Amino acid sequence: MVKKKRLLNNAATYGMLLLWALIVLFPLYWVVTTSFKEIGDVFRGPRYIPWVDFIPTTEWWYNIWTVQRRMLLGPVFNSLVIATSSSLFAVIFGTMAAYGLERFRFKFGHMKNKDILLWIVSQRVMPPVITALALFIMFHFAGLLDTKLALIFVYIAAHTPIAVWMMTNFISQLPISIEEAALVDGASRVQVFFRIVLPMVAPSIAVTFLLCFIFAWNEFLLALMLTGGRTQTLPLLIAAQHFQRGPQWWDISVLVTISIIPAIILVVSLQRYLIKGLIPIGK
Amino acid sequence: MSVHDVANAKKRKQRATGFSEQRTGRAFLAPTVIILLALTILPFLLTIILSFSRVTFEGGGIQLHFAGLANWSRLFADERLWNAFSNTLILVVFGVSVQFLIGLGLALLVNGKIKGQGFFKVLFLLPMLLAPISVGYMGRMMFDYGRSPINDFLNRVGLEPIGWLISGDVALLTILLTDTWQWTPVMFLILLVGLQAIPKEYVEAASIDGATGWQLFRHITLPLLASAVLVAILFRTVEAFKVVDIIVIMTGGGPGLGTESMTLFAYIAGLRIFDIAYGAAISLTLFIPVLLGIGVFLAVARRYRASTSG
Repeated sequence: MVKKKRLLNNAATYGMLLLWALIVLFPLYWVVTTSFKEIGDVFRGPRYIPWVDFIPTTEWWYNIWTVQRRMLLGPVFNSLVIATSSSLFAVIFGTMAAYGLERFRFKFGHMKNKDILLWIVSQRVMPPVITALALFIMFHFAGLLDTKLALIFVYIAAHTPIAVWMMTNFISQLPISIEEAALVDGASRVQVFFRIVLPMVAPSIAVTFLLCFIFAWNEFLLALMLTGGRTQTLPLLIAAQHFQRGPQWWDISVLVTISIIPAIILVVSLQRYLIKGLIPIGK
Repeated sequence: MSVHDVANAKKRKQRATGFSEQRTGRAFLAPTVIILLALTILPFLLTIILSFSRVTFEGGGIQLHFAGLANWSRLFADERLWNAFSNTLILVVFGVSVQFLIGLGLALLVNGKIKGQGFFKVLFLLPMLLAPISVGYMGRMMFDYGRSPINDFLNRVGLEPIGWLISGDVALLTILLTDTWQWTPVMFLILLVGLQAIPKEYVEAASIDGATGWQLFRHITLPLLASAVLVAILFRTVEAFKVVDIIVIMTGGGPGLGTESMTLFAYIAGLRIFDIAYGAAISLTLFIPVLLGIGVFLAVARRYRASTSG
């Protein structure tokens, strides 16, 4: 009786897990298979299984690699440059601030370390559209509209709070005794930071960097508002597919598949660190 | 050099290192503080100024003129504001609730003794890392009227197809479903971390004392999970108010204005109709419910904490 109940329980557990797994997987499956479908197969109603419902074609992938390569490479290059450099600075600034907050005592007015951390992290509360219109005007006067630099600046500001949040969590777990020993031996703070702290948190820095990178890689609204034709990023290119010529699902599917590859690599390779590192509960 | 001089020099040096220690600390904080002041706080203040201005363009330049409350009085009489506001609020309230319940359920299931835990974790986290633009396209392909898998499924089980994206009655629901697909992982992640932080002994001890599944959950797990629940709901609420990307792709705010969110409204007014000052006023109204929501939620949470600990 008890055994039967447990079996039933197990079945229900796996049933629900598999149901959600199916819900998550199916749209991904759909977009990947659509990138291999003939136009006719897309428009003649849903075709599910390759070689059964439809004969897959590599035409669209080939097409994007030959005819449309220039259209694709510019935005991919822009996205790579912007996401890489903004995340790099966000992580550097974030690590510095996190180290400062963990190892020094601050007092600005009535703000102490905890308040400063809260102030930094709370910047994420601001909906980006509020700052975007003002940034549009600021960048207009600075001559930075429609440049990579504008987006790099904005993404540094957007992602530094995340980096501070994550790195504070990581640095707080370091033993302080090694640093103290080095300080007693006459090393300066800066030396301690570069020679001792950075090597110890290097894996955490990598995780934080990759997460910031993904967020910058995916970002749409600020890119839409602050750039034009010269600095198109990959999300803008993908969004434009629909505005420019109506949905050509096969091409869109290729682009969407390309856009989700970094996320898939990240989550598969880093799932352990992501879960551990992201949220310091109860701090 | 006298002894006195040496002592003085030492003192001076000490004072100098103490001072430089403070300066070093500030130097570590400086880049973060500066960039946030320059690119978040300053634009925020400028937006406030913009909302009381009239913006003109002459000779390629932008001029601001003081316009008093003109933008604001126009805005509060604008039905489009209330439409966008209620759409956003519906997405926030229902979206966050549904995502919380599913996320909690999944976290509890995955945290149990199951096979393939790693696989489920990876899969359940994945959607939150995808570009919302791409998720929007996936949503469109799933919900399209004629050829979509979902309507095909409905057809096969003998139901009428639904105009998920073109019918004014359900378009907002479609956005909500897509939003849930993408953002339930955030809830799942935060709650799973919270669950994993609960010492196993607590649960074991209680179950030896004869507590059953629901009792365990209600009296052991849930109270210990409270801070994770708080973080999860707060975080998602703040983020949910910003919803725009998937709407742009899936419906463009339509049919009519049926799915227009606050952010989309502010963007269209500010940079498509190019009334930047009006857009600034719209975007600022988004800040009020965000702050209110946080305030109310923290107050409730504090009371709840006081009642459980006291």
